[in-house]
Amino acid sequence: MSAFRIRKPFTDVVDSAVLPRLIHLSGDLYAAAFQLMKLLPAQFVLQRALEQGQLTERSTVIETTSGTYGLGLAMVCRRLGLPLILVGDTAIDSHLRRRLEALGARVSIVSGQAARTGGIQQARLDRVERIRARHRSPFTPGQYDNTMHANAYGRVAELITESFPQVDALICPVGSGSSSTGIAGFLRLLWPDLVLIGVDTPGSVLFGAPNGRRRLRGLGNGLLPKVLDHSLFDEVHWVPAGDAFAMTRRLHADHTLFMGPTSGAAYQVGQWWTRHNPGGTVLAVMPDEGHRYQRTVFHDAWLRREGLAGVETPREPTEIAHPGDLEDRWSRYAWRRRTRDEVVDLRAAVGTR
Amino acid sequence: MSSQQDEAQGTLLLPGDSDRRGWGTAHGHHGELLQGVFEFAGSLHRGLVTLPCPIMSTEASVVVTEETPEWTVHPPWKTKALLAARATADILGEKAGGAVSVQSNIPTGFGMGSSTSDVTATIRAVLSAFGGTLPTDRIARIAVEAERAADPLMYDRMLLFAHREGLILEDFKVRMPRIKVIGFVARPEPIDTLALAPARYSRWEIESFRALRGMLRRGAAEGDVAALGRAATASARLNQRFLPIEHFPRLLQVTEETRAAGIEVAHSGSVAGLLFDAADPNLAGKTDRARRELLRIGISHTWEFFTDGDDERLPDS
Repeated sequence: MSAFRIRKPFTDVVDSAVLPRLIHLSGDLYAAAFQLMKLLPAQFVLQRALEQGQLTERSTVIETTSGTYGLGLAMVCRRLGLPLILVGDTAIDSHLRRRLEALGARVSIVSGQAARTGGIQQARLDRVERIRARHRSPFTPGQYDNTMHANAYGRVAELITESFPQVDALICPVGSGSSSTGIAGFLRLLWPDLVLIGVDTPGSVLFGAPNGRRRLRGLGNGLLPKVLDHSLFDEVHWVPAGDAFAMTRRLHADHTLFMGPTSGAAYQVGQWWTRHNPGGTVLAVMPDEGHRYQRTVFHDAWLRREGLAGVETPREPTEIAHPGDLEDRWSRYAWRRRTRDEVVDLRAAVGTR
Repeated sequence: MSSQQDEAQGTLLLPGDSDRRGWGTAHGHHGELLQGVFEFAGSLHRGLVTLPCPIMSTEASVVVTEETPEWTVHPPWKTKALLAARATADILGEKAGGAVSVQSNIPTGFGMGSSTSDVTATIRAVLSAFGGTLPTDRIARIAVEAERAADPLMYDRMLLFAHREGLILEDFKVRMPRIKVIGFVARPEPIDTLALAPARYSRWEIESFRALRGMLRRGAAEGDVAALGRAATASARLNQRFLPIEHFPRLLQVTEETRAAGIEVAHSGSVAGLLFDAADPNLAGKTDRARRELLRIGISHTWEFFTDGDDERLPDS
C-alpha cells in the first residue's frame, strides 16, 4: 500500500483526451479546457449502448453532425472497429471532412437542394432515416435527443469536485445542452447555489431568442435539443461571432491558451462575470482547441473578408427585458432557473410585438 | 435503545477449558458518508464509506476447547460470529474448537454495523487465541463470507469499500478527519439490512456518485470536513428515493440553519447525524443550536461523539 500514486501511460488515445485540463487563468477565473469535448459523450454513449446490447459488432453507427461530435464518434468508432456514417451539409469544414474520412467514417452530404423544402436540419434527419432503413442494425447516438449524453459529464464533475474547494459560477457554451446540463446538474447536488451561466449566440433558438443565421458554428442551435434542461440556468448571455472571435484571439494572446471560438465566447462572459462578482471561483468550459480555426478565427484576412476584423468587444453586455428582444450584440438575460416555456410565455402574456 | 447488552454475558470458564484464550474488539459505525455505485477497474461496484463511531463497540473473547472441534457462541443468536470463528480457525489450520462470547453495545437494525463489529471482534479474538495473524483484507473477506455484506470496520482508515465483495474500491489512505457528530434516530422502525433490496440507481444517479466521490477524495486528502459534509448530504439526498427519511427537508433546513458541515444517514438503517468540523472555533455554539433545532422538530433523543474516539455522551437507552 504505497503512500502515493504513480502515473501510468494512458491505455487508449480516447481515454487520454476525454477529460479537460483545469487551468487557472487569472484572479478568480479558471478554464476547463478540453482537447475535444465531444469525445467524452461519444465514448460514453457508445459504451453504454454496447453494454445494453443496442450496439453490437454488426451495427452501423449513423448520426447527423457536421462538427466535433462527428470527430468524437469517428475516433471512438475507429477504436471499436464500428462502421460510421455521418450526415452533414455543404457547410462542413473540408479539413474536418478529410479527417473524418481518414478515420474510416463515411460522410454523406445533404445538398442545398434537398434542404430547400423543409430546412437543412430536417433534410439531414430525413437522410439519417433513409440510411438507417438500408442497414440491418443501425445505431443512432442522437446527440440532441438522447439524455445519456449529459450523463457522460459525471467524470468532469468528479474532476471539478476533486480539484476545487468551491466553484461559485460555471460558464458553459451551449449547443446540444449536454455538457451544461450534465456538469451543472451533478455539481448542484454538492453546491446547490452554483450559478450556471449559459453562453448562446444570436440566431439560436435555444433560449427563446429569434431564429436566424448563426455565424458562430458550434454555439447555439436552430432546433431545441431534448437534452438541454433550461431550468438549471441562472443567466444567459448571447455572444455574437465577432466578439467571440476577438476574445478567442485574446485568450491566446493573454494566456497562450489556444482554443476554438466557443471558448472565446466563454472567456468573454467569464471575464465579465469575474469582474462583477469578486471573491467567487469561476470556471469557464472551453470545448475545443484552436487548430481547426487557424484559417478562420486566427486568420486576419479571413476575418476581414467576413467583416469581423478589429471588432472591439464591448465592456458590458446589453441587458435585455426578454430573449425575444435580442439583437445581434452581446446581451444578457436573468433566466432564473425557469423552463423555456415559462420564459417564452412571459412575452406571450403581454402580447407579441 | 436495546436489550441486547443484557443478553450478552462475560466468558464463562468451565472445567476442561484450555488456557488458550483470546480477545478482540471492533468499533461500530454511524451510517455512511457515501453509498452508491462506483467504477473500479473498468466496472461498476456497489460501495460505501462508513462513518466510524468509536463509542459503539463490540468485545469478543474466545476460550479454545482442545478436545472437540465444535464452536459455540454466546449469545447463541450471533450466528455470523460463529461462522466467522469457524472460518478463521479453518484458515489458520486449527483443529480445535472454542467458545466465543460476544458483548456489544451496538443496537441491531439501526444500520450501525453491529453484525460486522461482532464478526470482526470475533475474528480478532480467534486470531489472538491461536497466536495467528491475517492481513486485514483477508479479515474483510471472512466477514463478507460470514455476513454476505460487511462494513469496513476492520480497517483503521477511510475507504470506499465494496461491502458485498469485501473489495477496496479506493483507499483514501488517511484516517477519518475529526468530526463531531450529533446522532439521532431518523427512521422509527428498525431495518433488516440484508432483507432490503439493493437500490436500483438510474444512470444519472450512478454518474452523479462520481462527483460525490471526487469531493470525498478532496475532503480526505485536505482534512476538509466541509467537503465531507457536502458529499454526505448529497448522498443522503440521493438515498431518499430508496429508503426515505420522513422529515428530510426539515433536517436539511436544520443542517443549513445550524451551519453544520452536513447531514449523514445510515443508507440501510435508522440513524442519522449532523456533522460538525471539530476544529470549528464556534463548535459548542453550533452544536447547542443544533440540539435546540432538532428538539423543535421533535427529535429529543440525541447522542454525540467524535469520529476519532474522544467520546462524550453515550446514547442512553
